[in-house]
Amino acid sequence: MSKRTEKQSKPKIKVGKLEKRESRAGYFFIAPWLIGTLLFLLIPLGQSFYYMWFNIRITPKGYAFNFIGAQNFSQIWVENPEFPQQLVTYIWQTLLEVPIIVVFALIIAMMLNGKIKCRALFRLIFFLPVIIVSGPVMNMLVSEGAATIPAMNVQSIVAAFDRVLPTQIATSVGEMFSNMIMILWYSGVQILIFISALQKIDSALYEAAKIDGGSGWECFWKITLPTMKPMILLNAVYTVIFLSGNEQNVLITMIESAMFSGTAEKGYGYASAMAWMYAIIISVMAALFFVMLGSKKDVYDRKAKKFKKEQKKEERMKKRVRRRGERHARKVANHANKFTTYDGSGDY
Amino acid sequence: MKRKTKFKKALISLTLAVSMMVGVVGCGSKEEEKKDVSGAQYNPFGDYQVTTEDITLTFWHYEDETTATMMAEAFMELYPNITVEHKLISDMSTDLSAAAAAGTMPDVFEGTDSDTALANGYWGDITEYWEADPDTKNLMPTINEYGIGCFDTNRRFAAPMLYWPSAIFVDRNVIETLNLDMPDTDWTWAEMIDLIKAATKYDPDMMYYGLGWYNRLDSLYGIAACSNAERAIKGEFGYNGEDFDLQYWATGEQQFSDLQLAGYVAPTSGSDAMEEWTGDYDGWFGATGHVALFSEAFWTYQNIWAQDGYQEDLGLDIVPYVTPNVVDEKEHNVISNMYMGGISSSCEHPLEAYLLLRFFGWGVDGWNTRMGIYEDKTNVNASGIALQHSSMPVPLTLDEGVWTRYKALFPQDEEHKPYWDDYFASVTRPVPYGWYSIAGYWNFCDQYFNSIDIHGLVDTGKAKAADYVDEATRQANYYHASAMLAYFGPDSPYATVIGYKDILSADEIAKYQAVVDAFTTQ
Repeated sequence: MSKRTEKQSKPKIKVGKLEKRESRAGYFFIAPWLIGTLLFLLIPLGQSFYYMWFNIRITPKGYAFNFIGAQNFSQIWVENPEFPQQLVTYIWQTLLEVPIIVVFALIIAMMLNGKIKCRALFRLIFFLPVIIVSGPVMNMLVSEGAATIPAMNVQSIVAAFDRVLPTQIATSVGEMFSNMIMILWYSGVQILIFISALQKIDSALYEAAKIDGGSGWECFWKITLPTMKPMILLNAVYTVIFLSGNEQNVLITMIESAMFSGTAEKGYGYASAMAWMYAIIISVMAALFFVMLGSKKDVYDRKAKKFKKEQKKEERMKKRVRRRGERHARKVANHANKFTTYDGSGDY
Repeated sequence: MKRKTKFKKALISLTLAVSMMVGVVGCGSKEEEKKDVSGAQYNPFGDYQVTTEDITLTFWHYEDETTATMMAEAFMELYPNITVEHKLISDMSTDLSAAAAAGTMPDVFEGTDSDTALANGYWGDITEYWEADPDTKNLMPTINEYGIGCFDTNRRFAAPMLYWPSAIFVDRNVIETLNLDMPDTDWTWAEMIDLIKAATKYDPDMMYYGLGWYNRLDSLYGIAACSNAERAIKGEFGYNGEDFDLQYWATGEQQFSDLQLAGYVAPTSGSDAMEEWTGDYDGWFGATGHVALFSEAFWTYQNIWAQDGYQEDLGLDIVPYVTPNVVDEKEHNVISNMYMGGISSSCEHPLEAYLLLRFFGWGVDGWNTRMGIYEDKTNVNASGIALQHSSMPVPLTLDEGVWTRYKALFPQDEEHKPYWDDYFASVTRPVPYGWYSIAGYWNFCDQYFNSIDIHGLVDTGKAKAADYVDEATRQANYYHASAMLAYFGPDSPYATVIGYKDILSADEIAKYQAVVDAFTTQ
């Protein structure tokens, strides 16, 4: 049968009214997100990409654009050393803080998922900081020293790290310790995500493991953690984004102040250049965590693969041995045919 | 049940009808009231015709809000067809750039940082009105002499609005306790330094310090430094209207640093040294009764020391002294905080906006209104503070009537009055801090001076001020020249968007370009 007739014979499926209505409803529900993305993400993203090549003055009568090419970037790197310095500090801090926040959130989520009294109240307590940190209240709390643990001698910790680590990393570690409370306060959303993931793990798995004599520790490593792995990745990426964009972030403050600065060099163009550089760094950080945690295979997949690999290797080995044996047998037979002994028996 | 509903409906209808009637009648009477008075329009100068249409002017400022409301009300009484809406600025750059981006620029606004306003073409040209205004002829002389608000152009973009001269305050009680003599009010810089040193004494109960500072001495020295024959200084960092020379600043900076390092200067608030000295980490030297001289802001007296019972309770007796000159053969200029104000370059009613500007700034009519507000101590702000104790500025006008009323707000007893009279006589030649009046000054501070923390390095003895003179002078001249080109040159927003042509002459452009080229090629 030719291709043409094959195509013709394929029955046409008419989309039903219900399906149409459902797809319309689907578009309707995602419309706010699409409009929001277009208005508040894609358009500003394009605009800022355009702006970063200009010196922009916003006069009462309109915008004055002056094309300066990559001058905004050179100005940032050459004349504003604070921004690159803060970028380096940000990288170190993110690398240190993200694992702390994610691990802390996982531990708290597991505790809050257990059968404890006043569970709802505790969940509320751990989520409360999310509401607080979303506003200027957090800035006020930080300025009052609420972000630090009073009993913790941060200076001694920094001095100790300074002896063994480069200053830049030691400073970041010090920053982390001096903002320990704040870091823990950033865990609210992550705790929620982990709790919802924990609740979806099939309890039959734990029961089966326990019947087989598995301890709680073993259950955690062999059931909970592998199941939670996608959520760990999600939380790590979420934490990177959150740390990069919250009000306490010095880089955000710098970009904001450059944006509203009236001085001749700064303004929208300069701030856009800063924002793009920062966005690239954030993307690299997020990608880094994705690479570290994003592998789809868990430990058992890896073990099974390894086992199969070894099996194949063994089979190959067996084949090789068999082939070698056959070859050897053939060789001996050939040899026997070619040469004869003095007595003609063939035995040497 | 039905009857009840009927009654309810009738009641609601009646209420709505009455409220509509009240609204209509209320609106009508307000309109009528306005239209009645707008026939006779108050016009303080020139042949300009003030509009009789109902208009609204927006005014953004740094005034006490209650004072601003009362002043605005007084202005609206003069011009019943003009409604004034005012707002306190929280951050100049943020507020104004957001307003410019949104197309809601205020008609009149004050500013602390002139670079922001000039770089973006915020201020419109008010030269014509300024020249026609009789009140501008009777202002503190440096305003016209040095072209404060003209930014070295032949146009006026802004005018001084709020003025607070610097001052050296002396605590008479401390001088007496230490058995020292009160200095003459026409003292010299060297006498002041000697007194600071003499008044620093160890006391087992609490150390006495010669100086407590808010304004750095190098800023004061920079203005008072030399004779006009040597260099006619018109601004900070030895600015003479064309270029900078930081050697004068360096002498003052080093002297101030030496005083600090030698222990003649009182600790500042929020330091361990302050806690060690007073037992209070956040303490203020001005309340200790153990500091002889204060390089404080003018407003500190009215806002704090002049509060009822404050000095008596703490055993203080504060009097003002003029900032001394380093050399005698010089008119007495005084470094000052001087907020500038202007009208927006997009303002649709420039004449009326100018009238509002002068009323709040230097106009005699405005100042008489202010005096009425300040004289009545029952006029208090939202915090319950009498308005004369809420950063009351010093008059910019030399009008005698205004000054008589103004001086009466300060101590009038025989012991203190002479100090105040001498002080006020010495503050008629203000020179604003650089960020108010010199184009590019803030860029220089932001990009060079503050970014390498010269004050910090010299204050802590890690570097000598003299080491920075040549490079800082070169940098300051570059930033000024490049700002002049960026703000007023042919490619500036003023030229390309606002439409002001030829603000700088070809010679001026060439001169500034030469400075920029020399800097960039080095």
